[in-house]
Amino acid sequence: MEKFHYIRATSVTEAIELLNEPGIVSRPLAGGTDLVLLARLDKICDRVVDITQIPELHQIMRNNDQIVIGAGATFSEIIESGIVQETAPVLVQACCQIGAPQIRNMGTIGGNVANAAACADSIPALVCLDAVATVLTKNGEHRWPVAELIVRPNRTQIPKGGLLVSLSYIAPQPGSRSTFLKLGRRNALAISRLTIAALGRLDSAGMIAETRIVPGSATPQIVRFTRVEAGLVGQLPTESLCREASLQTVAEMTGITGRRWSSEFKEPALQAMVNRALLQVFGLSQRLSQNTEGLAI
Amino acid sequence: MKLEFQLDGSNVSIDAPADITLLKLLRDYLGMTGTKEGCGIGECGACSVIIDGRLINSCLTLAAQAAGRKVITIEGIRGPDGGPNDLQKNFIEYGAVQCGYCIPGMVLAGEALLTRNPNPSRMEIREAISGNLCRCTGYQQIIDAIYATAASRKELKIHA
Repeated sequence: MEKFHYIRATSVTEAIELLNEPGIVSRPLAGGTDLVLLARLDKICDRVVDITQIPELHQIMRNNDQIVIGAGATFSEIIESGIVQETAPVLVQACCQIGAPQIRNMGTIGGNVANAAACADSIPALVCLDAVATVLTKNGEHRWPVAELIVRPNRTQIPKGGLLVSLSYIAPQPGSRSTFLKLGRRNALAISRLTIAALGRLDSAGMIAETRIVPGSATPQIVRFTRVEAGLVGQLPTESLCREASLQTVAEMTGITGRRWSSEFKEPALQAMVNRALLQVFGLSQRLSQNTEGLAI
Repeated sequence: MKLEFQLDGSNVSIDAPADITLLKLLRDYLGMTGTKEGCGIGECGACSVIIDGRLINSCLTLAAQAAGRKVITIEGIRGPDGGPNDLQKNFIEYGAVQCGYCIPGMVLAGEALLTRNPNPSRMEIREAISGNLCRCTGYQQIIDAIYATAASRKELKIHA
């Protein structure tokens, strides 16, 4: 007997109808790189609703400063998007470091967010962009900042029968630099041990006008470390300031998670990564990520 | 459920359960055993096939997802005479094949790359095959074979 049935939705409206059909437990199939594995192990639903062939979910659009990425856009489509390359190098860098070409051709940004793994690579980049998730239900549209949509690892506020349809962000101000660093056991197909998404912008006097610091795989909820950020604004960026901020980021992480078996590794590793990321975004280092050299805005 | 799709250029119509992977459909229902099962969880690339021009893991794709789409497997990669094509000949020429288990996936990763980027650097080739594990060769010979194929195809284009 089949463990589950399959149906393909051709539009978002149809997908919402199928996901809300009474008497049938349905799950959306986005990239399938997590769901197909899960569905093989356990009975997780009566039916998968394939949303991969809905054209509107793949669209990446720009409306002045607002960029809207369809939740069904694959990592490859995002990497290749001129709009995202121009406005969010941090997201391109994050997507470049996910899995391997096969996974990037299948996996979607919406799936990464809805699956909400603590080690998901696109989420720190989206949180760094202050991205907002749009969820459709049969009753209408709901929006959450990505950082609030995910309440804990693998748990989101997306209601039953709801579908994450897009992720949007406001393009960072001109002169912003951003970066994404990942620490895994090897370059390809590695689950992140730690990641850091960071953004920085200096004012005309060379002082820090804005910064955003988002560690991934570090805390149960992926959030901006606003206290560390606030301590940097208005200061002259120096190597010692970056080092101080990296130590403070580590202290904040340990404050949230407590000291754990992995702390001995994570604390010095995160310190070095935050330090490196801040040096990059404040223009104190020439070492930009290899994949996206020249993409810094 | 009934599945209709284009497989290696020919139309296929077959009845199959909704819950099987494309890999299982190819091997067990269609008898096309060129596509290999390695890890079965998307980490080794042995099951790589090309759908609508993109390289994917057939172990993470449901068979039903292929419906209405174009699938290319290793059986669809061949020269005009039905024998190995230039890339496959270069795999042999450069000693890129030892046990051979990863090779169908490697050849498809190479073809997927060369279709999108006819002039790849060695770094880009490494990236393109980074989702395909090989435990025999140490990869250098595979990279050499893909690099040489790109160069000879460029040469052919210039003289064509």
